[in-house]
Amino acid sequence: MASPCEVLSRAGRTVAREQLRAVAEEAWRIEEKFSRYRTGNVVDRINTAQGTPVDVDPETADLLDFAAELHRLSDGRFDITSGVLREVWTFDGSDRLPTAREVGRVLGRVGWDKATWVRPRLTLAPGMQIDLGGIGKEYAVDRAALLAAALDSAPCLINFGGDLMAVGETNHVPWQVGIEAVGPNGGNPARYIALARGALATSGDARRFLLRDGVRYSHILDPRSGWPVTGAPRSVTVAADTCTQAGMLSTLAMLMGREAEAFLARQGVRYWCMR
Amino acid sequence: MGATDGGREPGSGQFVQRLAAATCSLLGIGSTVPVLAQEEPTWALDTSFLYYGESDERVQDLSLNVLARRLFADDKVLSFGLVYDSLTGASPSGAIPLNEVQTFTRPSGNDVYTVQPGELPLDDTFLDTRYALTATWQQPLGRLYTGSVGLSFSTEYDYTHAGLNFGITRDFNKRNTTLSLGAAIARDEIDPEGGAPLPLAPMGNIGDLSARRPGTEDKDVVDLLIGVTQVVNEHLLVQVNYSLSDSSGYLNDPYKILTVVDPATGEGIARVPAPGTAGPLHEYRFESRPDQRTKHSLFVQGKYYMGGKVLDVSWRYMTDDWEIDSHTLEAKLRWPLGDRGWVEPHLRFYTQTEAEFYRPSLPVGELPEFASADYRLAPFDAWTAGLKYGFRTASGNEAGIRLEYYRQDGSVPDGLLIGNQDGDALSPELDAVILTVSYGFDL
Repeated sequence: MASPCEVLSRAGRTVAREQLRAVAEEAWRIEEKFSRYRTGNVVDRINTAQGTPVDVDPETADLLDFAAELHRLSDGRFDITSGVLREVWTFDGSDRLPTAREVGRVLGRVGWDKATWVRPRLTLAPGMQIDLGGIGKEYAVDRAALLAAALDSAPCLINFGGDLMAVGETNHVPWQVGIEAVGPNGGNPARYIALARGALATSGDARRFLLRDGVRYSHILDPRSGWPVTGAPRSVTVAADTCTQAGMLSTLAMLMGREAEAFLARQGVRYWCMR
Repeated sequence: MGATDGGREPGSGQFVQRLAAATCSLLGIGSTVPVLAQEEPTWALDTSFLYYGESDERVQDLSLNVLARRLFADDKVLSFGLVYDSLTGASPSGAIPLNEVQTFTRPSGNDVYTVQPGELPLDDTFLDTRYALTATWQQPLGRLYTGSVGLSFSTEYDYTHAGLNFGITRDFNKRNTTLSLGAAIARDEIDPEGGAPLPLAPMGNIGDLSARRPGTEDKDVVDLLIGVTQVVNEHLLVQVNYSLSDSSGYLNDPYKILTVVDPATGEGIARVPAPGTAGPLHEYRFESRPDQRTKHSLFVQGKYYMGGKVLDVSWRYMTDDWEIDSHTLEAKLRWPLGDRGWVEPHLRFYTQTEAEFYRPSLPVGELPEFASADYRLAPFDAWTAGLKYGFRTASGNEAGIRLEYYRQDGSVPDGLLIGNQDGDALSPELDAVILTVSYGFDL
């Protein structure tokens, strides 16, 4: 998951160990199966198919169904084929921007609408790739939370690099979750959220951005233009029933740029934005 | 935009429902359970009501206490404290019981009051309404330091206090060790009823304010503190503080007096008020204290956590250049009771030696530079025993009720008794009950 993962459980020692083992195994399984950095897994098979159809297993098909629905719901803003834009965009805090021509050339290989998805068969145009990184971590948190909850009813918190989900009984003192400040105080909690049940997910560009002529280019790329979203908050945290929902809402809010808060307010969810 | 294909526009109301449906089918669950999350409240209020009542209709205090704290981003904290005290009753004036009726001129000089034979003379002048306000700002300074600055102000009938305090802490050793430094300065103003009596001036008749200094008197106090808090292991926390307090200026209690006595019998010296006026029927003098006092104190505390129970044991040693040495030993045990409650019994023992200039009475003809019969400067022991019951309400607020019993026993050293004086009569024991009801909630 490329970030620290933790399980906090109020269950007894033995059960807590079982929960930890189940969660760790699930996290490793999902990473192994869906990481685009691994070779031989389903994502690698799809990304190296060069235009030939690939049949996928039911779990992968569920994730692709979900990605397709999100693409539709977000009017194309959420797109698992946008990863190839990183061939021209490197968010290292520098002022190196690609040219419009370079972006345009890559953009031809971006767009879920260019893919043919008829469950269980996915056909991508040659040169296209998918990246499930935008869903994978939240999906892993939710899967892990379901496994932990099945083992014990005591409160349990799954935290994969700041995307987290609380399950179990709610008659205890809630988990105290600090949201990291942005700017010079980064690393310190800016506010605390009491989480008794459900999920919190945070999207942000605190450490990944480009800066040129005073304009800050966030690492959130709009797959429709190939350019970073401007005017997005530095950090968006959303509370939702599951980590997947919280993660999709915070990611989409970032993609809405200046409209992030208005978008979240319309959804009627609890959110915390830092600019 | 989304009219024909509901939810395509991410702002439309159906978006969240369709996201929930997609999530349920992804995770293979029928429905989701609603999230329970809320931002930690910005204002936390701790309120308490205290009743303190001494036996024999001595001092009674009703006190209301509110502490409001606001947590800002980045662990910055602003807090305000407000205390309201309403004191009634009377406290010993310093005069000793005599076998005859005693008459005293009130500090205002406008009236007299009498005390029956054998009764301990009490004076009700200082009792009053008091308001105190504090404000403190605390914030992290870099990663390991925390700084604070505070103001304090209090006012009552004849006394005003204004103070400023600073503190800084630094964490060491993976935050297992904290070093604290603190400093406070205060300026107090006393505006005694009828003016400040001149040191050891005799108590005069009604209307005689000749031995008084009109206007206000000041006192300056400087406090310095250095402390270390150490997490020893997962069960034990130890704290050691040393503090130095220096007071200078007017340190007398303007209403405290000494009975002038016969050096052989220890009985009061009769006095006849001037014709046509009322006044004391015996001789008394106002007290006189040095105008400087330096206190050193050492505080050691250990908190031991064991399976939900917390044992808190502390010792404070204080010594000053008035030669008062005191020790306070205290122990509390917090014991969980049920899911959300706990009980906390506690026991405190206090003992002090007398100030070098303490004397219960003044032999006629003797005029030392300093003398006071204030019972707070006398040698005494005190026990406090109490029990608190606290619980967390369903909404997470904390409520508590505590009852304490206080007993103070003085003992005038034989060397300070004169003639027929009876040590027990000069320092009668004091009993008090203290009831505290507290409630903490968030806004």
